[in-house]
Amino acid sequence: MKKPLLLVWLFLAIPFLVFSQSRQVSGTVSDDKGTPLGGVSVTQKGTRNGTVTNDNGGYVLTVTGASPTLVFSYAGMQSMEMPVRTASVYDVRLSPGGPMSEVVVTALGIRKEKRQLGYSAQEISGEALTRTKETNIVNALRGQVAGVQINSGGGAPGQGSRIIIRGIKSLDPGKNNQPLFVIDGIIMDNSTVTGGDDQASLRGMTNRAADINPDDVESISVLRGGAATALYGQAGSNGVVVITTKSARAGKMRIAFSSTYGIEEVNKFPDVQTVYTQGYRGVYDPQTIFTNWGPTVEAARAIDPTHPAELFHNYARAYKTGNQIRNSLNISGGTENALLTSSFSHQKQNGVIPNSDYQNISVRLNGQFRAGNIFKFSPSFNFINSGGLRVNPERFNEQLSYWSPRWDVTDYIKEDGTMKGYRDNPIYGTYSNQFRDNVNRIISNVSATLSPVKWFDLDFRGGMDYYTDFRRHTAPGARGLAGELNYSDNGLGFVREFRISNRILTSNLIGTFKKDWGTRFNTVLRVGNDVRAHKFSRLTATGSELDIPTLLTINNSKVRANNQYEEDYRIVSAFGDATLSWDNYLFLNVTGRNDWTSTLARGNNSFFYPSVSLSYVFTDHFLKPSWLNFGKLRASVAEVGKDANPYQNNAYYSSVIITSSSQVAWTRDNQRGEQTLRPERTTTLELGTELRALNNRVGLDFTWYKLNSRDQIIPVFVSPTSGYTSLVSNAGELENRGIEIVLNGSPVRGRDFSWDATLNFSRNRNKVVSIIEGLTEITVGSWFGYVGSTATMKYVPGQPVGSIYGTSYQRYYGNKTDDKLTVDNSLPIVIASTGANAGFPLRDLTQRILGNSQPNWTGGLMNTFTYKALRLSFLFETHQGQDRYNQLGNYQSAFGTAPYTLDRNTSKVFAGVLPNGTPNTQLVWLGQGVGPDGRNYTDGFYRNVHRGVTENFVEDASWVRLRNLSLSYKIPTNFIRGNVIRDASVTFTGNNLFLWTKFSGFDPDASSFNSGSNADAFTGFAYPAVRSYLFSINLNF
Amino acid sequence: MQKIFLYILLFALTAGAMSCQKFLDVNQNPNSPNTAPINGLLIRATQQTALNVFNVGNITSNYVQYLASPNAASPTDTYDQIDASGTWTSLYDAMTDIYDMEQQASAIGAKQYEGVAKVLMAMNLSLIHNVWGAAPYTEAFSGKTFTPKYDDATALYQRSMTLLDEGIALLQQAPGNSRTIPTGATSPDLIHQGRTANWIKTAHAMKARLLNQLSKTPQYNPTAILDAVSKAYTSTADDAFITTFDVRNPWNAVAVANAGQILQGWLSEYFVNSMKDTLYGIPDPRLPLIATITRFGDYRGTRSGKGRIGTGINRDESYLSTTGYYSSQSSPLFIITYEEIKFIEAEVAFRTNDKMRAYNAYLEGIRTNLTKMGVAASAREAYLTNPKVAVGANSLTLEHIFREKWKALFLHPVTWDDARRINYNYPGFELPLNAVQTTPIRRLVYPNVELSRNGANVPAVNSVTQRLWWDQ
Repeated sequence: MKKPLLLVWLFLAIPFLVFSQSRQVSGTVSDDKGTPLGGVSVTQKGTRNGTVTNDNGGYVLTVTGASPTLVFSYAGMQSMEMPVRTASVYDVRLSPGGPMSEVVVTALGIRKEKRQLGYSAQEISGEALTRTKETNIVNALRGQVAGVQINSGGGAPGQGSRIIIRGIKSLDPGKNNQPLFVIDGIIMDNSTVTGGDDQASLRGMTNRAADINPDDVESISVLRGGAATALYGQAGSNGVVVITTKSARAGKMRIAFSSTYGIEEVNKFPDVQTVYTQGYRGVYDPQTIFTNWGPTVEAARAIDPTHPAELFHNYARAYKTGNQIRNSLNISGGTENALLTSSFSHQKQNGVIPNSDYQNISVRLNGQFRAGNIFKFSPSFNFINSGGLRVNPERFNEQLSYWSPRWDVTDYIKEDGTMKGYRDNPIYGTYSNQFRDNVNRIISNVSATLSPVKWFDLDFRGGMDYYTDFRRHTAPGARGLAGELNYSDNGLGFVREFRISNRILTSNLIGTFKKDWGTRFNTVLRVGNDVRAHKFSRLTATGSELDIPTLLTINNSKVRANNQYEEDYRIVSAFGDATLSWDNYLFLNVTGRNDWTSTLARGNNSFFYPSVSLSYVFTDHFLKPSWLNFGKLRASVAEVGKDANPYQNNAYYSSVIITSSSQVAWTRDNQRGEQTLRPERTTTLELGTELRALNNRVGLDFTWYKLNSRDQIIPVFVSPTSGYTSLVSNAGELENRGIEIVLNGSPVRGRDFSWDATLNFSRNRNKVVSIIEGLTEITVGSWFGYVGSTATMKYVPGQPVGSIYGTSYQRYYGNKTDDKLTVDNSLPIVIASTGANAGFPLRDLTQRILGNSQPNWTGGLMNTFTYKALRLSFLFETHQGQDRYNQLGNYQSAFGTAPYTLDRNTSKVFAGVLPNGTPNTQLVWLGQGVGPDGRNYTDGFYRNVHRGVTENFVEDASWVRLRNLSLSYKIPTNFIRGNVIRDASVTFTGNNLFLWTKFSGFDPDASSFNSGSNADAFTGFAYPAVRSYLFSINLNF
Repeated sequence: MQKIFLYILLFALTAGAMSCQKFLDVNQNPNSPNTAPINGLLIRATQQTALNVFNVGNITSNYVQYLASPNAASPTDTYDQIDASGTWTSLYDAMTDIYDMEQQASAIGAKQYEGVAKVLMAMNLSLIHNVWGAAPYTEAFSGKTFTPKYDDATALYQRSMTLLDEGIALLQQAPGNSRTIPTGATSPDLIHQGRTANWIKTAHAMKARLLNQLSKTPQYNPTAILDAVSKAYTSTADDAFITTFDVRNPWNAVAVANAGQILQGWLSEYFVNSMKDTLYGIPDPRLPLIATITRFGDYRGTRSGKGRIGTGINRDESYLSTTGYYSSQSSPLFIITYEEIKFIEAEVAFRTNDKMRAYNAYLEGIRTNLTKMGVAASAREAYLTNPKVAVGANSLTLEHIFREKWKALFLHPVTWDDARRINYNYPGFELPLNAVQTTPIRRLVYPNVELSRNGANVPAVNSVTQRLWWDQ
């Protein structure tokens, strides 16, 4: 018992190593084509003794012992073992090891052989990420990892993307369900900060992981299950994305330069009708809000000669071609004992919505120093500046929908700088009402490893992720000029300043004990301690009603207000991890972790949770059929606890300043938390297998999981009559179940030509098992629709997450029972027999499930063809069986812009039955005003009925797209004297080149809510997705 | 040796655990307290109560056609079902703070605070009752249940009356050594600046309003109303109103926004015509103190439900003026006034056939309002002596009283109660264009915030034309 404790003291003593029968071996390592490989790890099996090859693939290593064995390993290659006999030179050729390397980075940056893992882990190389030329590393992961769902908020420059692993795990509509991001062992903030200003939530703010320069990334490992993330504790309960950055290799200095220029455009526009122009009830009116309920264009031109010959397609006109430029430089070098990497990158992007842009500058330094094999020290420093002009795409598209195609939307500004037009012009909006963020961020860490003896290592990591985000939202006031039209959102002018700072400090200490009990039984024990402290602060100052309308400073404002928010969060943990392996085919891993959190009351703030995982490489145990190269079964079960947000377990009062009298009024806060809050619990059960066959040419990785989150800490909306509008308590259970399949193949593996393919498939099913007692539902979010067609996302027990509720056409149930929850599409629609809407379908105001925002399944297919110096790769991605509420569609119905409204001047008999069950035979006119039958149809079918039915706007948003296509050519460099350039390549990349979807609006892969939100069922007015074409040059010196 | 090591270890662990506890002790919210000062609650309660009169009035002003929307077929103009979640939440938010203030006052024995809290509670509760009928009260505010049951409408009415009586009783007690509300210009009591006598009068005035509201019911009790009237206001100096706003009177915010082309606060054609001589044949000198002049140099309203005729920014019509009596930056926001009491007196006297008292109270109500608004004496007397106004005691009708009350209580929600009591029987009153209903609106449907969060308790409402119990 006391022995391990004594060990802590032991490493203070001078370590000693026993050498016997030592001799030197050397050689060259190359790939299967004979090209020398630098940076290959060469170690003596079972020892810590090792080196890496130099640029020419050469190595020299002193080995010890009677029968030493060399192990050569390199990312992307199959490891190779070579027994050392009498010779002193051992040249080896490594063959490609398929798309996945054998060693993966697991929790806390621990590299483990993949065969040992009792859970699934998928690693993506930096090369596979940068190939997409995506500047947001979250977007670069799209379609490449099973079980991971990425939704981009839209195509705005620097726009945040949302990443969800194995489904939503929290019933809290506002809680972050996104995985933890860890960069070189240091927890990194990936929040999308929107609190304190409702504007920011609509302006596509960046998820903070996008600050990372993708060129700095060596690999990304995605840890999905509970057992995989157990060592991260609660922070990792939504999965963990482990980023490992590039480090230098010993040898001469290397320089890598890459430059990219690209253009982008909106990939899909909504269809519009081009026949009917502005007006109401068929009467032309060039000023009315009714953009398309007027007469035909010809009829309008007869009245108004200034009317254009054709209507403007303003959706297409308002958007422009965006562009981006990106340069990145990486310089590294050093000796084996002192290595240094530095990188610099700059990116500038102009979006497709006018006046939206984003810039990112990143500087990074990373050193590695070692004193023999005993001590290793790696400091790292990364400075990032990012931000830009953020537009409100919802407002832009809404105003675009209110803007009649009779007028050219791009003619928006007068010479004096005021707005031109007949109502709010969306482009003038982005020009005058501006929101800019400016982030300065430092991510810095030190890591030190002490290896005093063969069986013990001590690792320490300390890190800091600190950023400030200065946001500024401004608008001028009306200037008081004659005939001036003021942009209504600007009001009397305002200046709003937001100063946000966020700091995460991390300290992590791990001791690792290894012991081989004979030749077959090995154990590794890790014990550690983890401390984290978050500090968040926000200061808001606003000034409105500007004195000089165009002077944008708070000093110029008549009404001023400010407020402040500070938040502290701390957590201390102790953990242990024991791995037992038997004969290198059976591995058992047990972990335990105890967290002490600051956010729960004493007595409830300490919680323990364990995990167990088992890996069994049966092909190494039994005799295997010759075609099967590798076979493994794995199983794991894990539990993780999760605390509350700061200050959530209490009730508070807030102050409101009365500006005119300087009095402070106090009011009870809307949210109350129960003081007895206890940690949430999530249990994961995971089973899986990995198989490789036919000379490792085909690989299969299959995972099944089930995950239950109970005692969820959730704020639920409650009736304001209770004295609060939300209550935070432990309530509810959510279940996620799913499968993940990754299939690899190398159909052709020739000398000049090869073809590799990876297919991944994921399917997640979730269900709300229960919510707080007394409540029947939790509203996640709702989005406006005309006359009761608002769509709402709710959590209802027994129903899946993501259900979209709204109004529908009434169905005729007859003697069938109506569950009042779903819409039975097999039943006829009920047509009104009397009243103002006689002959038209009846609206059913009951909130029913009309669709689901979560995909039935997602998949990706990556193909890579290599022919000599040419390489072509393309990635197809699909989300199937998902629905979205299309707000744009709702407006298109209300304003008569949708092509289907062209039937407005026709009559029809709606298919369906009357309330008494008899078939409907009444002929009705669809248009506005008095119809040919003399009846007054007032606003007509579309405004009276169609736009008020949510069902009409919940659309199938499934899609298949060519997510990425990349064609690159390695330029021969041997004609350049002196081989200054090691290699050079040019690459053409296309993103989002083709999209197949039935969805009627813009690309449905955009969300009306920000990337931190779980309300993902709404789109329509979101920043449209873009198609981009990029050209890049890579040079390596 | 081993023992010493063990002790050192134990010590280290204990010290570590203790500092760890301290390290984790950061969950005391630095941004907000757990209790609030009673005066801070009073500021909030008095301000929000007045603002709730605005919130409700901002809806009902379209129903009684003071205002009309600049947008065609606006739901509020056309009796469509509207979701008044914001107003509902604001009313309960105010009542929650009043509840907390009452609890604190009761705990420290501050009778005056407690009495004021009860009167304020009755003010908000009666607003809810008059718009929706049944609503949570008995189980509300405390957070003991999150799905409070609904008290039925008559019970809420009774509760409002009881609160006023209890408030009066508390206010009449000598404060003794108990804590009293600071007085003067910076008093946290934004309505009466801590003047107990005014609060008692206000409580009686509220009683008079509530009792008068029962005119359609068998419980109508003229004696009780006259008793309450006699104990209520004697001049406009007694009025319950606030002039302390964050920045500006909320009606001024409407007018300012409209001036900044965020269109709102448009006067209805019916109101403008009533105030011009087109409808009643009496040019009303108050109109220039309320409305803006059009580019044609006259006053023009917007037909309810029709929406704007032009772009909406060319002064084709009249709006609430940014310098108007009700809509300037520091205009008073009235909760209950002397002229209302006079019109109540006129009505009850009329109904009990005391024509002379009715006529005098009627004229006093008009005169008071004109004087208060700053109408020049000559114009005021011209109006008061106009044969269409000075009809004489014997020719006075309920329509006269209601018409003048409707004019004098411009924008106040109590006029919607009146409109329902006389079945919108104002001369020339028309349904809005594009009306969704064939008869005028009688109530609001419950807001979505209740339907979605407390659905099981919300009473069924079929239509906005369904009448509340006192409006049958």
